[in-house]
Amino acid sequence: MTPIIQCRGVERTYTQGAVAVPALRGVDLTIGRGDFATLAGPSGSGKTTLLSVIGGLDRPSAGEILIEGRSIGGLDAAQLAELRLHKIGFVFQSYSLIPVLTALENVEFILRLLGVPRAERLARAREALHQVGLAGLEDRRPARLSGGQQQRVAVARALAPRPALVLADEPTANLDSANAGELIALMQDLNAASGITFLIATHDARVIAHSRRHIEMTDGRITLDESSSPAAA
Amino acid sequence: MHLLALLLPLSWRNLWRNPRRTLITLAVVAIGTWSVLIFAALFNALATGSRDTTLRLLTGHGQLHAAGYLEDPSVSHSMARPGPALRRALDAQPVAGWVERVRVPGIVQSEYRTRSVTLVGVVPQGERALSDVPREVIAGRYLADPADPGVVMGRDLAERLKTRIGKRVILMVQAADGHLAESGLTIVGLYAAGKPAEDEFLFTGLGTAQSLLGLGERLSEISFLVRDEAALTEVVAELRRAAPGLDVAPWMELAPLVYTIETFGRYYTIVWLLVMFTLMAIGLVNTQLMAVFERQREFGLLQALGMRPRQIVLQVVLESALLVGVGVLAGTALAAATLAPFHHGLDLGFLAPGAEIMGESRILHPALGAAESVRYGAIIWLLAVGAALWPALSAAAARPAAAMSR
Ligand SMILES: Nc1ncnc2c1ncn2[C@@H]1O[C@H](COP(=O)(O)OP(=O)(O)OP(=O)(O)O)[C@@H](O)[C@H]1O
Ligand SMILES: [Mg+2]
Repeated sequence: MTPIIQCRGVERTYTQGAVAVPALRGVDLTIGRGDFATLAGPSGSGKTTLLSVIGGLDRPSAGEILIEGRSIGGLDAAQLAELRLHKIGFVFQSYSLIPVLTALENVEFILRLLGVPRAERLARAREALHQVGLAGLEDRRPARLSGGQQQRVAVARALAPRPALVLADEPTANLDSANAGELIALMQDLNAASGITFLIATHDARVIAHSRRHIEMTDGRITLDESSSPAAA
Repeated sequence: MHLLALLLPLSWRNLWRNPRRTLITLAVVAIGTWSVLIFAALFNALATGSRDTTLRLLTGHGQLHAAGYLEDPSVSHSMARPGPALRRALDAQPVAGWVERVRVPGIVQSEYRTRSVTLVGVVPQGERALSDVPREVIAGRYLADPADPGVVMGRDLAERLKTRIGKRVILMVQAADGHLAESGLTIVGLYAAGKPAEDEFLFTGLGTAQSLLGLGERLSEISFLVRDEAALTEVVAELRRAAPGLDVAPWMELAPLVYTIETFGRYYTIVWLLVMFTLMAIGLVNTQLMAVFERQREFGLLQALGMRPRQIVLQVVLESALLVGVGVLAGTALAAATLAPFHHGLDLGFLAPGAEIMGESRILHPALGAAESVRYGAIIWLLAVGAALWPALSAAAARPAAAMSR
């Protein structure tokens, strides 16, 4: 089966004035379908940058990225947006909800972009909020939700369209340990139940403990890549 | 449609994230629109006011004269009464009415003073339909019929001559045969039509004037009104065909100053529109650029969620379109409310009397047709939405990776 993510010799160098900052220095990585992988490493090692280029939010300076076997290097901004819309869900570290929309509308948003009919869309959005334990808070705007609740809305939003892949950048960083634990359990459940692939950049030992595959980066390179049996689950 | 249903409410709510900024922009657009509409209404009123006064005095929509009369409006340039062909053209449907006149320079003398005037011999019934003078008689009466031997003069002229109703004045004119004819006529009425007219024109019956001048049945001019001004050019052409020997002139040639004022009124309104629009656009583009800049991360997020750059452009354009739309509506309502009290006219009598030199009436009727308001509103709206493309395009240029930053 075609892996969902393939990175071949991916480099990304930021230029700050005259200084070149190499964030990725040749990353080769393959993530199979249904994986639940964590990406760890010291601050500045390139985790966020790697997720960005995989999701087409940023372009590599060199190398190639394939999503479901298709190279994304030649896609323009609109095509990349289209790819994300249909295949990839994002969960960002800090609150990333649309502030003027309610929890339900935030989850509905992508479904509406996808053109899902109203009845189905509402049902799916409610179900997703229910799954993340937010039933009853559908009509609250982000400003009236706690950080943990907002993060769960973001997870519901990423999951409701049933993407093939979820890229999460430190999803638990702003959560207390109870909330973080719930979120991890939720993502694992979804991975097990619907086969959604997860790639999660995190420092959080609890998240790493639950992963089936653990990758570590140092200075823009992958320095560890180990698979374990999902015994901990 | 799906997309609009999604983005319109989003745009509307986004506008109210910063109510202060939105309200300020709204006020700028509303005031700008208001000023454009008020300016247009006033200029319209000024132009039509000045035009109507002139046309409703004696000019009409056009006139016929003997060749040479316009250069030398004397008794020697007279014409016969209209023949059958011309009469048919004058009685045709597009012409609302026409009158025959004698109009020659003369001198009027009271017991105390002498003034040069223009003697106008009129058919009173015809004039009532064509000219405002019969209605502007403020003392005494207007002329009764073409044989009326009385004179009607301007209030101001009567004052200058130190004479009044019931008194006799001596009228001296050069007759058709060249000799100086004079006749004593009784003042039967005074009219008020503003300074230059009041001083200049002295009216008597057409027959009275013709016999004083020894003109027989001959005329100096025929003045006509059309039913629809759009047909004026056609009517003039038709009259020219029917009376090839005569001089047929539309009012634009007879009163070029009035025509210029009217034409300039439109240009001034357009210039004002552009000035106000530029100010509005600067304010709008500025605030929208600021708003877009503050929301770089959000636009990155929207792209990360799968919104295409063009959809983001559309969203920001919708925000501006709504903002300007509401502003234009508010400005239009404000303008309508401002103009409503002056529905029956705005008396400019308190302004410098100099205004009268241009032949303007002292009462302006500032008004704006619905179609015109909609047109101006639409122009402002479209231009503003066009200007808002710039901030919108810069929103789409936001790097989607910005969504990842903290
Ligand atoms: N937009 C940018 N411009 C310039 N340099 C950048 C930019 N983004 C990241 N970098 C640099 O690239 C390197 C990798 O950054 P990245 O954010 O990918 O690391 P990270 O592993 O996600 O770190 P953290 O754990 O702190 O989130 C760092 O040295 C960082 O300073
Ligand atoms: Mg990071």
